[in-house]
Amino acid sequence: MVSGVRQPVLDSLAAVVLAAGLALVLVVAAGRVESARVGAAESEARMAAALWELVGGGADAVAGLLGERATITGADAGGAGSGPGAYGYEAGALEPAVWIAVAPPPAGGPRGALPVTAIAIALAGLTVVTGWVLARRRGPTRIRYPAGIALLSGGCIGLTAVAGGRWAGDELGSLSAATVAQGARAVELALATGADPAGAARFAQLPWAQDLSLDSLTEQWTMPAAVAAAIADSPARDVEGSPLTVEADGATWHVAGAADVHIAFLGYERTSSPTLALAAAAGLAGLLVALVLHLGQLASRPRALGRTLAAWGLLAPAAAFILAFTLGPLLFSLWISLHEWRLIDPAPLFLGFDNYAALLRDREWWSAIGNTALFTLHVPAAMAVALALALLTRGSRRTLRWARLALFLPGITSVAAIAVVWKWLLSDQYGLLNRGLERAGVGSVPWLTSPDTALASLMIIGIWMVVGYQMVVFQAGLAAIPRDWYDAARVDGAGPWQRFRHITLPGLRHTLFFVLVTSIIGSFQVFGLVYVMTEGGPLGATDVAVYHIYREAWEFLQFGNAAAMSWLLFAVVFAATWLHFRFLDARRAHG
Amino acid sequence: MSPGEVGLRTAGQGVVLRGVEKRFGDVVAVQPMDLEVRPGELMVLVGPSGCGKSTLLRLIAGLETPTSGEVWIGERRVDEVEPGARDVAMVFQSYALYPHMTVARNLGFGLRVRGTPRPELERRVAETAAALELGDLLERKPGQLSGGQRQRVALGRAMVRDPGVFLFDEPLSNLDAELRLRTRDEIAALHRRLGTTMVFVTHDQVEALSLGQRVAVMDRGRLQQVGTPDEIYRRPHNLFVAGFVGSPPINRMPLSRDGGGRLAGGPFALAGPPGPDRATLAVRPEDIAVAGPGEADGDASGGEADSSAVWGSGDGSGSIRAGDFRSTVLRVEMLGSEQLVHLDGPGDAAWVARASPALRVAPGDRVSVSVAWERSHLFGADGRREEGVPRPAGRQVS
Repeated sequence: MVSGVRQPVLDSLAAVVLAAGLALVLVVAAGRVESARVGAAESEARMAAALWELVGGGADAVAGLLGERATITGADAGGAGSGPGAYGYEAGALEPAVWIAVAPPPAGGPRGALPVTAIAIALAGLTVVTGWVLARRRGPTRIRYPAGIALLSGGCIGLTAVAGGRWAGDELGSLSAATVAQGARAVELALATGADPAGAARFAQLPWAQDLSLDSLTEQWTMPAAVAAAIADSPARDVEGSPLTVEADGATWHVAGAADVHIAFLGYERTSSPTLALAAAAGLAGLLVALVLHLGQLASRPRALGRTLAAWGLLAPAAAFILAFTLGPLLFSLWISLHEWRLIDPAPLFLGFDNYAALLRDREWWSAIGNTALFTLHVPAAMAVALALALLTRGSRRTLRWARLALFLPGITSVAAIAVVWKWLLSDQYGLLNRGLERAGVGSVPWLTSPDTALASLMIIGIWMVVGYQMVVFQAGLAAIPRDWYDAARVDGAGPWQRFRHITLPGLRHTLFFVLVTSIIGSFQVFGLVYVMTEGGPLGATDVAVYHIYREAWEFLQFGNAAAMSWLLFAVVFAATWLHFRFLDARRAHG
Repeated sequence: MSPGEVGLRTAGQGVVLRGVEKRFGDVVAVQPMDLEVRPGELMVLVGPSGCGKSTLLRLIAGLETPTSGEVWIGERRVDEVEPGARDVAMVFQSYALYPHMTVARNLGFGLRVRGTPRPELERRVAETAAALELGDLLERKPGQLSGGQRQRVALGRAMVRDPGVFLFDEPLSNLDAELRLRTRDEIAALHRRLGTTMVFVTHDQVEALSLGQRVAVMDRGRLQQVGTPDEIYRRPHNLFVAGFVGSPPINRMPLSRDGGGRLAGGPFALAGPPGPDRATLAVRPEDIAVAGPGEADGDASGGEADSSAVWGSGDGSGSIRAGDFRSTVLRVEMLGSEQLVHLDGPGDAAWVARASPALRVAPGDRVSVSVAWERSHLFGADGRREEGVPRPAGRQVS
């Protein structure tokens, strides 16, 4: 029997998928640690190169600092990466003849190179599941079987992820401590040779401060003020040589001191934290197991199984695309919105909902939202104009066809080009419009330069831009209304207005709704016009939401804030659309 | 359900077209024509698609304006009057119900836009709905109705306004066969009850003959014949009408004048009327009789057949003389109450005879065929009917 052949195949496939999932979780945990080790080696190499320059060729001292893991070669001894470890650093512009290569430090910690606990959990889980699969009999266990396997598999994956995460955290912590200790020794070395230790610390990208400035908080060089203050307050800072951690800016900093110099470091366990990646890997592994179990349930029905496999296969490319380019960035922006991130920060700081809370009190943001809402009022006006134009230019006469084309053109023209031309047309002094008005004796209007008129000017241009497109959509909608309805209404005695009111408008209902929703969404996303024509001014009169978000991110580098704003804007647009749909449903329900 | 109960008036208005012509650019949809629909009459406009019958109806409704000519409804000349002011109501092929309105609002729309007071509007909608048994459907939308129900709503929308003239534009063609027959009867009954003038457009000649008090046959924008169904069927004015009406179509045989002054073609030589050199003989399938091989005189040379062996579907008033020609049976269609015998002849033609189901013939049989000459038709070269009954004038040897 076919099912008799397929069931064991799927059972072993389930075991293989489970094993792969567990391996994936372990690889992710180990990978985070490995990448942190590589990062540590790179910063050590940089530090050593800086020292080389500072102490003036103290090769022995530098070699002593780095120990056996470093190889230093002259210019004649071949290129980078010739020594042990492939992590080379060219020592800046000062001494291009010297290469320093540093091998990553061996994985430290009491548990050695592998996450033993996690592997043990994984192996135990795999054994239990495989044993269950092999011992299983067909029959009454049929329904409970997949649920049991799913629970067990999920448990194994979860436990492995937790254990792997803890192992990775420990490893990263000790790696951080080692890096800071290395930095401290480098500072010591610099001090001993009479060089300025600042360079060494800076090259290692470790913020540092001298004790003098810890107290005054005026001269920390690269040390964040909050971190310096935290070190100054720490009771353990005077204990020479002992590693120290302080809490500042919502993060844990690793600190080491050498004489009156302190260096601080945002630990790898934060910058390379495995938690998110492990959660994602565990989720993916769980999904894969669930998928295989689902297929296993269909194993006794080969045709259904084949169709399901084909459906998943056909869905896969599109789903992967959506995951990578839509859902992924979406979740990433949600994640950013919960953090403070200036793009140049070593790692985003988790703030929870602080960004959102701050936005609720941000007057400029709400003013931008208000401007956007005002701007959106151009949509109904544009729709009325577009509907009138659609009715007027209906027909196949040559002039009407040209009129339609002319009206549609702005819709396919680049926003930047439109904005530049209109900016010129509306210019106070040189603008064609104001010249015309002056000649007509009306006097010029500060179209874009007064806070009272700038937004209204943009709305007029907005109407001009969308009217052609809306008109074409309306004409398609009008063409879909059967002529019989108009004929019947005429025979019934309805005049032109009654025909418009009772036939045209109801017949266009869905078209109107479509245009309304898409235009409002488009209007909430207005950016190009503002960016080119007014840059949000004058006095923030045209500072609309998307432009505000753009400035927050790329001018003030507040990515967390900007992401939070994006999500609030999304919430507003979503709510507006939802209300529209509710309204439409209500109308439909009540006739 | 009598007109008295539903409060509808029983008088209709006459419709008169005088020299009405309609052109769309260079295309002549309706040739200049005169047509009169008498008050209270049910007139059917029938013709093949594209013959201008729907345009003619729309001219009466006012949905089209005539290029020239006059349209009169009752005592008024209306060709410049809006459709809504013409005192007509129309039922469309697609029904054209307003899809976003309930049945009740569909029915009342015409009254509402005229500003009819609400109580009267509601009363008339209720009466119409009761007359058409639409009472349970009043709150539904057209999308929730079956085809037959929609048809009734469309009818109701016309009735509720109590118009002087009802116009029907192929209202039955979207219904299935059974429903079409039933609705046809209902419309005929409605006409009897209301006595209102009705103009009904169809392309179905059976529908036309069965429904119309008078039938106007149109072709290529021209009125071909106006008359009672009986006139149309028994005395077609031209070859088109003869061919369009009747199923299976009338049998034809082209004739031309021979040396002896007779009109000859195939086995026939007729003492036709003087005049045309070319003509067409047309005989309806029921006006030719077939004698089976075992019944007819076996003598191939012809002669008078035994009259008892010959069956004609005519009413017996015309004597059918057997043996007008002999032919081979190609196919026999048994339709239950009758059978159609397809013949390989006369001459190059392939005639069909309507015969009693009792006749026993099979494909390949040689049969003797006779024509009821007094019910046969002769059309001249221009297609017009030649008066007088064609008579055989001797027999050609086939």
